[in-house]
Amino acid sequence: MSGPPDLDALRDRLRGADGPRFWRSLDAVADSPEFRDYLASEFPAASRLAAAPDRRGFLKLMAASFALGGLTACGRDGRDYEVPYVNQPERVLPGVALSYASNAVFDGYGNGILVTTRNGRPVKVEGNPDHPWSRGGTDILAQASVLGLYDPFRSQAVQHLGRPASWAAFNGAMLPQMAEWRQSGGKGVALLTGPITSPTIAAEIARWRAAYPDAWWFSGSARDGALEGARRAFGRPLETLPDFGKARVIVALDGDFLDLGPGQVGLSRRWIDARRAALAEGRLLPLFSAAPTPSLTSAKADDAVPASGDRLDAVGRALLTAAAGGAAPEGDDPVARWTRRASAALAGARGGGIVTAGLTASPDLHALVHRLNGQLGNAGTTLGYHAPVAEAGAGSLSDLAVAMERGEVQALIVLGANPVYEAPGALDFAARMERVPLKIHAGLYYDETGAHADWHLPLAHPLESWGDVRALDGTAGLIQPTVSPFYNGHTVQEVLASLGGTDEGMDSLALVKRHWRRDGEDEKAFEARFDEALRMGFFPGGAAAMEAVTVLPSPPAGGAGTAAAPTPPRDGEGSSVEVVFRPDGTLYDGTHADLAWLQELPKPLTKVVWENVIAVSPALAAREGLVNGDLVRIEAEGRSVTGPAWILPGQAADTVTLGLGYGRDVPDHLSRGLGYDAGDLRPVATPWRLQGARLVRTGQSRMPATTQHLGTLPDDEEGRAILRTQVPGGAPVGDKPGPPPSFYPPPESQDRWVAAQWGMAIDLDACTGCNACVTACQAENNIPVVGREEVALGRWLGWIRIDRYYEGDLDAPATHFQPVPCMHCESAPCEVGCPVEATLHDSEGLNLQVYNRCVGTRTCQSYCPYKVRRFNYLDYSGGMPPVTQQQRNPEVTVRARGVMEKCTYCIQRIADARIASAKDAHAPIPDGTVETACQGACPTRAITFGNVADPESRVSAAKRDPRNYALLGHLNTKPRTTYLAGLAPQGRKA
Amino acid sequence: MDNGTADDRPPGLATAQLFTPGADAIYRLVLMTLVACLVALPVLGAGIVRSNYVTGVGVAPSQPLPFSHKHHSGELGIDCRYCHTGVEKEASAGIPPTHTCMTCHSQIWTGSDMLKPVRDSYAQDKPLVWNRLNKLPGYVYFNHSVHVTKGVGCSSCHGDVTSMQMTYRANAFEMQFCLDCHRAPEKNLRTPAEVWNMEWKPPADQASLGPKLAERYHVRGGERLTECGICHR
Repeated sequence: MSGPPDLDALRDRLRGADGPRFWRSLDAVADSPEFRDYLASEFPAASRLAAAPDRRGFLKLMAASFALGGLTACGRDGRDYEVPYVNQPERVLPGVALSYASNAVFDGYGNGILVTTRNGRPVKVEGNPDHPWSRGGTDILAQASVLGLYDPFRSQAVQHLGRPASWAAFNGAMLPQMAEWRQSGGKGVALLTGPITSPTIAAEIARWRAAYPDAWWFSGSARDGALEGARRAFGRPLETLPDFGKARVIVALDGDFLDLGPGQVGLSRRWIDARRAALAEGRLLPLFSAAPTPSLTSAKADDAVPASGDRLDAVGRALLTAAAGGAAPEGDDPVARWTRRASAALAGARGGGIVTAGLTASPDLHALVHRLNGQLGNAGTTLGYHAPVAEAGAGSLSDLAVAMERGEVQALIVLGANPVYEAPGALDFAARMERVPLKIHAGLYYDETGAHADWHLPLAHPLESWGDVRALDGTAGLIQPTVSPFYNGHTVQEVLASLGGTDEGMDSLALVKRHWRRDGEDEKAFEARFDEALRMGFFPGGAAAMEAVTVLPSPPAGGAGTAAAPTPPRDGEGSSVEVVFRPDGTLYDGTHADLAWLQELPKPLTKVVWENVIAVSPALAAREGLVNGDLVRIEAEGRSVTGPAWILPGQAADTVTLGLGYGRDVPDHLSRGLGYDAGDLRPVATPWRLQGARLVRTGQSRMPATTQHLGTLPDDEEGRAILRTQVPGGAPVGDKPGPPPSFYPPPESQDRWVAAQWGMAIDLDACTGCNACVTACQAENNIPVVGREEVALGRWLGWIRIDRYYEGDLDAPATHFQPVPCMHCESAPCEVGCPVEATLHDSEGLNLQVYNRCVGTRTCQSYCPYKVRRFNYLDYSGGMPPVTQQQRNPEVTVRARGVMEKCTYCIQRIADARIASAKDAHAPIPDGTVETACQGACPTRAITFGNVADPESRVSAAKRDPRNYALLGHLNTKPRTTYLAGLAPQGRKA
Repeated sequence: MDNGTADDRPPGLATAQLFTPGADAIYRLVLMTLVACLVALPVLGAGIVRSNYVTGVGVAPSQPLPFSHKHHSGELGIDCRYCHTGVEKEASAGIPPTHTCMTCHSQIWTGSDMLKPVRDSYAQDKPLVWNRLNKLPGYVYFNHSVHVTKGVGCSSCHGDVTSMQMTYRANAFEMQFCLDCHRAPEKNLRTPAEVWNMEWKPPADQASLGPKLAERYHVRGGERLTECGICHR
């Protein structure tokens, strides 16, 4: 777009009859000539190639490439040797997949996973369907953890003052220290950890503290605010566990339960199960959301409204007043109207409502929500409360900073945390750390804290070590190694036991067993119990018990902290804004910022890759004359950060959102120099919100790379919408059953197709846009990362993209997600175009892509109406570090430069099942045997895959759903992938 | 500017012959050679590419020790599956671990110099590194188990291994080789008992037996088996 958005014109267009119903961006709504040109160009990804050489140069280049291209065929490919085992381990067979149950660790919390190994190498993570919390789903961090294991940026050696050292040297250096600590009782020794849910680590910390009774333990957690809120309401910190199955209405204040976090997988599944059950009864389980900035939770809401952080606290109070029999809030602004609707819905479902507050909500709002649920009779019915799963340290990060400032800390031991990066800028942690005489850091990476420490110790990756971890509901899971440690890393419990002098020569496994062995338990019985838990991945029956709660009397009205003081407007340039801080949509807190898969994963809402943006509302952008990519400076209390502005529909008007996890500063690491560090601005007292900041234009501009317009589909025409929404109980919006009318005779293949016919159904109501499928596909199918510049050219390579659409009003739109893999059309247009038959159909209905035949004309890409084909413009796979190549799935071809690729429906998994059935007397492949990577990863089971020729299969049942429709079905491509329309409430306001 | 005429040329040059009478013949010869080269070079190139020199067919590479299939399998009659354990169950037939060699050679020929690498490997826990004979491009996926359970014998691809003193590649595994069989599988199908017979030759009644076997094994015909997705993923 050439200028700042003309908001009024856009709003008119959206309201008028000629505006689009579903839109992806403001540019699309504006429908400017530049945007039309972009869409009309046949190969947006090649647009800049054509401009480069002149005709003569082009011919020279082609001649040279032709000659050299011939030479490349001369290279020997593959290895020329065979290395058998000396002693073949039991069950390890060359090329055969072997799965281990384990747990993925997300900010200290666990999710059940199954790790697939091939040839002794972990190559893929699947969900553990038996795990009581995660129930077979995974998130992007679990999927990407397999790349983290092979990450060449991982810390590979003990370092002392920045020089390579050894564990022996470290242990030697610690001996006199430990003697000293034992004498002083550990006075002045501070231990800092992240959230600790691991029972073994907690036990080792207890032992360590028993060895040094005067030592301190500090731990920081993103859940501190929520627990503080529970403490204010109930008198003790408690976790809240919603039981969506019993709910008739859900109100989410400030998002969170569907958002990326330790609870995402388990809560998303519980939510969608309840929503599906409600639909089966012909009703909607409505989700109301009010939040200062859009999130996945607000995107899935049936009634969402943007409300600034201040306003949100007021909304909470108004809901409480109304629930207590007071008057509903007055006013005619959108938030007041929303509050009345939510309040009425909650009042109509007393004892059957759920009000939740996101992790980033203020403790006050959490306390208000607890009181509100108590008032509505929800507490104890739809909401359970249990003791926190994470062990609480004696103090927080800021307590530690204060102690360091006072010079009270003589030794600082940081285990698995990175406070120098994570601590709010105001704490100035790095400078304060300098006052500590002895600093020890153990981490997966030699990060900012490692660089400031005297000793850095490499930790082992969860995929290569023993351990345990608890899920958000308290289920204790075991972590088992799937490969020998690469870099001689040790686990947190080993380091603790060694520093406490309590290890008794035990390794990680022995320490885990030491914790789990009950007193007086028979050795044999324990081993059997442990082995069974190891096989399942968790100890059964470990979920935390629910506790009865009573709400404390509320503090006197107008008491401290209830009413935020209005910020005095200050003079100066720019706008006064409220700033909210949010974990990044793909990196979360930045711990895994070196994982290129996460960097190149489009953020769920902005679709920006490789950096964080400063999200502003359309209204603020119009007032300040901002367009996407304009660099703006956010100033507060003498500090500032600068980043590109991004106009985010659904953002509260005067609120800007800063994303965490970027602005890393570790030399030579992938993440260095990407984005800005929002932590610089974070206040200590309210880590998620900052009042009274100023937004100032810098006059410069740098457009972030985004996949927002990748594969934009033609605008909807009469009744043939790209997206459809179904009102429960309303007229069905799906396609009529039976073949669509055609001038052509039915394909002769009908009678030929006697084998399994593969097809897919994607439930748009269940898709939360979490991206787990995209990362799973990348891991399964050896999809390389292309880099920021290539993405900016439109060459993002993912096989499944998640299109994000907005509907309705610019300021408070409804949001929809639509995953788009290859449709495997029965009448595939791409096959017509290929001059060398590199793409063609097989008798099971798969649209094949034959890499070794493809000559790269890209005709198929231009013929594909769904824009799901991806071209290897460069040799993206070639330059990967050897260690990262170990992650590749040996069952999938690594594509070379110059070939087209696309979703194959995981043909390697189909082939496995087909061969197994062929050997087994040709029994039909049972339904559910073939699970595509995207399907297996999905926490909400939105994707169903199977044999559509079998009327009994689950995918056939899904396709009989009256919500089932084909994307661009009027083109008569007969796609095998179809969609189930998302649900919408009756008469959603536009 | 004056370009000059023939009359202006120095005397002597006006009548001199620029080309000798044979020049035309040489010119034609060169032209014909060029045309011949245009045809011959690709033919020669194709020949070289298909030659055993390039494909390695019939060439036994050096190995860490001179293992003889002829001795073990042919003369002693050890079954293929004793060492290649994966062949009926997995994609890969598998190269035996050193442990398999030592099941016998810890008892017999225990002092043989020839077997020193095996003993060293076992004692030092260092794998033997064999030179690879049979190789497919990275985009081709072959599964041993489905072939042998469907009546395709070892020797159909690997040749008569039992007659090889030093093992060599019997066939260049080019696409043509795979397709010949996938187009008409019945020509190479054997009864289950014959799968491990290295000296198998199609019996006289293969023309009638083959289709019956194909039906019994549920082997689908050429149309299905030549679909790209069968081998390429």
